[in-house]
Amino acid sequence: MKTRIGFFDFTGCEGCQLTVMNLEDDLLQVLQLVEVVEFRELMSEEVKELDIAFIEGSITRQQDRVRLQKIRKRTKSLVALGACADNGGVNLLASNQDVAALRQQVYGSDAEHLLTETPLPLHQVVKVDYRIPGCPIDGREFLAVLQALLLEREPDLPNFAVCVECKLAEYPCSFDFGEICLGPITRAGCQAICIEGGDRCRGCRGLVDNPRTSPYHKVLEEHGLTVQDILEQYRTFNIGEE
Amino acid sequence: MNQAEILRFARALMQSYDLVAPRRKKGRITLGTLSDAADLELEFPPSVHSPKKFLFPHWDELFRFKLDGNVLLEAESAAPPRIIFGMHPCDLHAVKILDDCLFEGETDSTYRAKREATLLIGVDCVPDDHCFCTSLGTDRIASGFDLFFHRRDDKYLVQTGSAQGRQLLADHAPETMAGPHEAPLALQVKQCDSHLQFPTESLPLLMKDAYEDPIWKKLGNDCLGCGSCTLLCPSCYCFNVQDKLELDLKEGQRVRTWDSCQFDQFAKVNNGDNFRSSQSDRQRHRFYRKYKYLWDQHQRTACVGCGRCSRECLAKIKPTEVLNELFSQTPQQQLATSPGSEYQPQMAKVERIESISAEDRLFRLKVPKSFSFQPGSFLQISVFGLGEAPFSIASSSDDSNEIELVVRRAGALTQALHRVRTGDSIGIRGPFGNGYPVDKMLGKDLLLIAGGRGLIALRSLMLSLLTQRDNYGRITLLCGARSIESLLFHGDLLEWHHSGLIDCRFAVNEQNNSWGIPAVDVSYLFRDLDINASRTIAAVSGPAEMYRQINPLLFRLGLADEDIYLNLERHMKCGLGKCGKCRINNICVCECGPIFPYSSVKHLAEAIER
Repeated sequence: MKTRIGFFDFTGCEGCQLTVMNLEDDLLQVLQLVEVVEFRELMSEEVKELDIAFIEGSITRQQDRVRLQKIRKRTKSLVALGACADNGGVNLLASNQDVAALRQQVYGSDAEHLLTETPLPLHQVVKVDYRIPGCPIDGREFLAVLQALLLEREPDLPNFAVCVECKLAEYPCSFDFGEICLGPITRAGCQAICIEGGDRCRGCRGLVDNPRTSPYHKVLEEHGLTVQDILEQYRTFNIGEE
Repeated sequence: MNQAEILRFARALMQSYDLVAPRRKKGRITLGTLSDAADLELEFPPSVHSPKKFLFPHWDELFRFKLDGNVLLEAESAAPPRIIFGMHPCDLHAVKILDDCLFEGETDSTYRAKREATLLIGVDCVPDDHCFCTSLGTDRIASGFDLFFHRRDDKYLVQTGSAQGRQLLADHAPETMAGPHEAPLALQVKQCDSHLQFPTESLPLLMKDAYEDPIWKKLGNDCLGCGSCTLLCPSCYCFNVQDKLELDLKEGQRVRTWDSCQFDQFAKVNNGDNFRSSQSDRQRHRFYRKYKYLWDQHQRTACVGCGRCSRECLAKIKPTEVLNELFSQTPQQQLATSPGSEYQPQMAKVERIESISAEDRLFRLKVPKSFSFQPGSFLQISVFGLGEAPFSIASSSDDSNEIELVVRRAGALTQALHRVRTGDSIGIRGPFGNGYPVDKMLGKDLLLIAGGRGLIALRSLMLSLLTQRDNYGRITLLCGARSIESLLFHGDLLEWHHSGLIDCRFAVNEQNNSWGIPAVDVSYLFRDLDINASRTIAAVSGPAEMYRQINPLLFRLGLADEDIYLNLERHMKCGLGKCGKCRINNICVCECGPIFPYSSVKHLAEAIER
């Protein structure tokens, strides 16, 4: 029997699932090896049991918790798909705001019945087996993780900084242009795509296991940043880890 | 070749080769395939990545496989014919380092395939703030390239470095090949702002005692662990091997990818232990690999001074600063006395000159810096214009500011030394070599046997022993010479003899001599020798002929091989273990001797037998 996989989403932009869809020919090839049993962007069925659940988005409502817990029971493996699911991502920007005020600001008169809570990454609600970081995910990394799981191997997540991929591609260092880049402490695996595009790294893939924060802060201070500025830099994607 | 000829040459090369040259990419100089020969640049600062990325690429397929177990070997000839046009001297040196490491032992065939399919054309470089090649001698190169383009005015002089290079020129620039041959250009002097404040030969000694230095902790605190330094290094080759599968999960490739000793997981093992768990450990490892470990193996640094590591380091870790700081903490004396420090002598003032025989003069020199040595060590003495020669130190090892040497008038250099007056200065280098083991002699009886000029080294030993006479047992000196006249240090010998501090016995070949001693050979003095072999160490210094005669007598007395010390002076020309002139079979006298225990030279046929 083919491995049964499903895609699920909570609070997020669905950009990660879109990245999977955008794999196009590669995705079609992979689909030979698996059976997609749930994927809201493609189909409406629901199955009793599945092998791998890829879950996008953060948990922001009581009913989301319940739904996630039910998926956990139905699946053998659970994979956090993308930053929102993995470490909360940009959703966590809401975590140091007053929930009621924020709800009022976003939903206005509908705030009464749209009962959102402070967003949480999946691992704060259920056990997460594997993670695919990034905002959005890197399609090749998704394929590599899926391959590893199909071969019953532990997927490798790079444990070195984005600088590595940036240097391999011979991109100029953002700091040389006076830009503040989170590359030195952010987990690689994105092939430094933002640097390639002329931007800096904003840390969407989360921190490496052992970020060298102290020398990094020294570098930032040398570039004229204060502690408050430094926290701002982390905040976009790494609010839980600052 | 002028610019037009170079352009034609490059165009011709592009017909048959993948022509790699520097290109501008996002304001940076990177090496890549040239699409238009007109873009060829021959003068540029170091590129971001070195040519390593073509010879030893980050992603290198070792072989392909099928998941059902059949290994499919790719042919080694898979490497495309390629020319790298723009190899700086430092990068050519780095290729030699890669060759050393990857061809040593089991040849790395994946590397070899690329190396053989790639021709290297060198050009001179434009150093920037981070380059320190001039400190490592890697700013120039004499071999290791196929062609080298030296700039001369607005043209280039092409130097051929291999048969393939000559063929390349004959095939693609026949008019240049047929043109006039010219003498090589004089070496161009480059200026590097970054440099080491000491000669590279001191590096192994510098690193030897630096393992526990606090500097590694400091580097560990500064380092971001991003690995840029090693990834960009032209000679770092540590790698990881991984399987990458096709999407159908039926086939895959085993690939080699660059790894870095700066990464957390590099030295991690399965049970979670990490053998280099802190960033300090990792930085120290990098420096030791570059400047010590590979030096021990190949007698050169694994760093070529290209500056790529510091150029791209966000934490501003610069090898020159680290090494200079280590150097500034090391006692200068220790480095100055090291073998291999320099060929340059220091000037020493002549304090006193004494004629001690018709042909011999004793020179007392004031040395510029005090140094320590063992009796039996030697100094190199220079007279500019006439050269340099080794001389045994004749004075006590306790007197470190003034030393004495005996010079016999023989050749041009020693004749010049005999013309030196008190107050003049002469060049000295050293001291070099290992002498008699004074520490091991403590509490022992000593049997000293001198033949002719061998007494010079033993005088140094005796003067050293006499400064603490009570620390030793009986001291017996057997002293042989051709005649009373040729016996050195009359004054010292008579003083020791009369004082009873040393039991001195003499033998000269001269009949009816002025001292009234029997005309016998030094071996004759063994007849009524009464020594306790188990507590005696022998120090012997004289010609090889004497050792052949004396050694059997010492064995007969019952002395152990390791308690007999012989002076095996040869012509120690450089004193640095390099020139080979003082080599006895496989050992260098200047490095391992000149004083050896018999046990360590008895297997060497050239030591005593001839």
